[in-house]
Amino acid sequence: MPEEAGGGYEHQLQRLEFGDDITRREAAKRLQAGILFLFTVRIGEGQETTNPMPLLSSRLHVGEDGAITVLTGKIECGQGIRTTLTQAAAEELHIAPARVRLIMGDTALVPDDGGTWGSLTTPQTVPVIRQACASLREYLCRYAAQQWKMDAGEIHVSNGRIRHTDGRTLSYRDLIDNKAFGAASIAGARLMPASEWAACGTPMPAVHGPAIVRGALKYSSDLQFDGMLHGYVIRPPNYRCRLLSYDASKAARIPGVKIVRQDDFLGVVAPNEQAAAAAAHTIEAHWSNEQLGNPDTLFSDLKRNSKPPDAKAGGRYPALIEAGSVDQGISRAAHRHKASYQIWYIAHVPLEARAAIAEWRGDWLTVHCGTQAPFPVRDEIAKAFQLPPEHVRVVVSDTGSGYGGKHNSECELEAARLARNAGKPVRLAWSREDEFERSYCRPAALMEVESGFDSEGKVHAWDFHNYNGGAASLTPPYRIGNVRAAYHASISPLRQGSYRSLAAVGNTFARESHMDEIAAELKLDPLEFRLRNIEERRLRTVLERAAERFGWGRVRSGNGVGYGLACNLEKGGHLALLTELEMDGAQVRLRRMVAAFDAGAILNPDILSNQVEGAIVQGIGGALFEQLKFDSNRITNGRLSEYRVPRFTDTPEIDVILVDRRDMPSAGAGESPITATAPSIASAIYAASGKRIRQLPMLPAFEN
Amino acid sequence: MPDLKLTVNGIEATVLADPSTSLLSVLRKHFHLTGAKYACGEGQCGACTVMVGGEAVRSCVFPIHNVGQKYVETIEGLANSAHLHPIQQAFLDASAFQCGFCTPGMIMASVALLDRNPAPSVEEIRAGLAGNVCRCGTYSRIVKAVQSAAKAGRNA
Repeated sequence: MPEEAGGGYEHQLQRLEFGDDITRREAAKRLQAGILFLFTVRIGEGQETTNPMPLLSSRLHVGEDGAITVLTGKIECGQGIRTTLTQAAAEELHIAPARVRLIMGDTALVPDDGGTWGSLTTPQTVPVIRQACASLREYLCRYAAQQWKMDAGEIHVSNGRIRHTDGRTLSYRDLIDNKAFGAASIAGARLMPASEWAACGTPMPAVHGPAIVRGALKYSSDLQFDGMLHGYVIRPPNYRCRLLSYDASKAARIPGVKIVRQDDFLGVVAPNEQAAAAAAHTIEAHWSNEQLGNPDTLFSDLKRNSKPPDAKAGGRYPALIEAGSVDQGISRAAHRHKASYQIWYIAHVPLEARAAIAEWRGDWLTVHCGTQAPFPVRDEIAKAFQLPPEHVRVVVSDTGSGYGGKHNSECELEAARLARNAGKPVRLAWSREDEFERSYCRPAALMEVESGFDSEGKVHAWDFHNYNGGAASLTPPYRIGNVRAAYHASISPLRQGSYRSLAAVGNTFARESHMDEIAAELKLDPLEFRLRNIEERRLRTVLERAAERFGWGRVRSGNGVGYGLACNLEKGGHLALLTELEMDGAQVRLRRMVAAFDAGAILNPDILSNQVEGAIVQGIGGALFEQLKFDSNRITNGRLSEYRVPRFTDTPEIDVILVDRRDMPSAGAGESPITATAPSIASAIYAASGKRIRQLPMLPAFEN
Repeated sequence: MPDLKLTVNGIEATVLADPSTSLLSVLRKHFHLTGAKYACGEGQCGACTVMVGGEAVRSCVFPIHNVGQKYVETIEGLANSAHLHPIQQAFLDASAFQCGFCTPGMIMASVALLDRNPAPSVEEIRAGLAGNVCRCGTYSRIVKAVQSAAKAGRNA
């Protein structure tokens, strides 16, 4: 238990055994000479995280040069966490950020911090790393106290160094010479409170920024190994097709070409990419004829094939939220409104198409790749080859973005299959078409909403059903006495999975559009109407701040110009987004958007505002034009020339107001700022044109 | 396959490749210059942008036989070892990136834009770079970076 009240953490230093683990011994070469500290972190009560995590590990390495390396299972995909973690470590170690290094996503070296998803790095991993660093600082103080026969409480680390009044100094580097090193228990090392932050809370520039602007940052698709071979995968029309037979006799006669077949997987390995593609094109594969579904009846099919909400499913996003009596609330309400909303499938389109290089040595495998989830990918590959997980080392390079789309082992497992008997490393790079057609997409969803409200603009009943999308942002951030909000899982024609903020985009679109419709019906100002129903102080604040900056109420929609708004509370992020746009026939031109965002204590305001701006822009695509189309058996617009993504000319002037709540825990904020874009635009389109669009993307509604 | 002479970032090399091979492929595989990226393969996103004879081209759809005698310049040739090019510095100062995958192409396209128009308006920057995609959505910051680089250029 903690020695000090309010500490809430206990750390145990442990030993890391390498044993006969080939991948781990190989990986250790990435660490220079020094000493590796392993912490087992027991999180007690009163900690900063929202989810209980009883036991976690953290690893810090002190190098001969005095630099401290933080080892983490999280990866950098553009969200800026490489920089934020550097700040967090520097803060607690009391050293300059330049003295902190990071090794990320190398499963043979780093602790399993879970996938880089769910905006969990900030609320879960940052506190653990901070506590490990604070404990190392405490350990150094104890070492100094022992060396100098002093009380550890009188000793302080400043700029990575402890100074004795007689001029002697000790630094982290000196811990390497501690011959008596052994396991120790350190409880209650003091974390720097937000009010005293020196490194955290500052707009520290991206630590890898210079490499990015020089074109020197190596992504997984940039890696080249001596003597590596190249793979090519023969693709079926869709993911449901089974491989019935194939004729690879021509390809097999080409020198240097190997055919690899395992169940429904069929590929070739060749000395270079062109030879691999050429050989693959000579192969005749026969696939079973499988249907995806009918795009014309997508939403009715999703509803028809749905299951009742799983009331027992708890976790972060329960599938059923109930309060009061919805049926009574609606039947007794003075006014009722009912509408349904649809969102189509969209693709993540990470600019870096995934690539992997796999290399086997006996039953030991190393895969270099750009996944968001190194440990789950390792486990998937190990399972596929029936190997113990430690036989597989996944090494992640910084990723050319993912947005929730790079969670699974896809390219990685394919590369491992191709390399199994190749005797050399094999590289497999997905094409842009593969990205569109072979990865999972953001679910399509149908939302049916019915509400009951009074003439004063108070909502009393809320009946909300999401089919196929998911449960994120199901709970309305409004004070409503009678609520039933349910997520009904369904059968999807397309492969679907995680996407930035999950179902919160669709659920917020439906909820906020519906609220806008009630306001219009009651002839109430949409902002005033929201405020009458919001009790949550922080959400009110972001709405008021954004409205003030925007000039809401001082401007009137008309002459093709519309002003709209939406708000949301998701993953601890309180968001308001106001939009000004102009319409000319079917043309929508976004002029200006003002966001106010409160995600607790801000670790890095520049990175946070960048995330908010970027999420808003990404949201524009799904709101207005992004749409992954398909016919009965394949995706039909899987190219960047046919799938429209937001560009410079689609982007309005964006003004971001950050509300820094140093008294609140920091929430992860890479995802939730995407959620208000679509409803805010829909609200402004209604204000400009009188047309209520209840489908995403919205622009096709103007085509006819 | 014929030998082709290419001069990239001031270094001349002979490449044994089919003349229809894309410049991007040759830059990445023969020259090991991986700053220019493959992202769409059809000249739609600009991540592969490099300069050929001072003009920005989409190297993923630019066959090497079209290079001729012209010099090829990539992001790796923009800075000298000590100093970043003013546009690189402006991107850094404005944190005009997230994942950074589009950045080399975005910077090369911005260099070409400012060569053509040393004092572009916001609308001209947006239109001039509309062929380059930043999927992370850092467009506003890129516009600011190009504006500040343009201003620095005028003051130089």
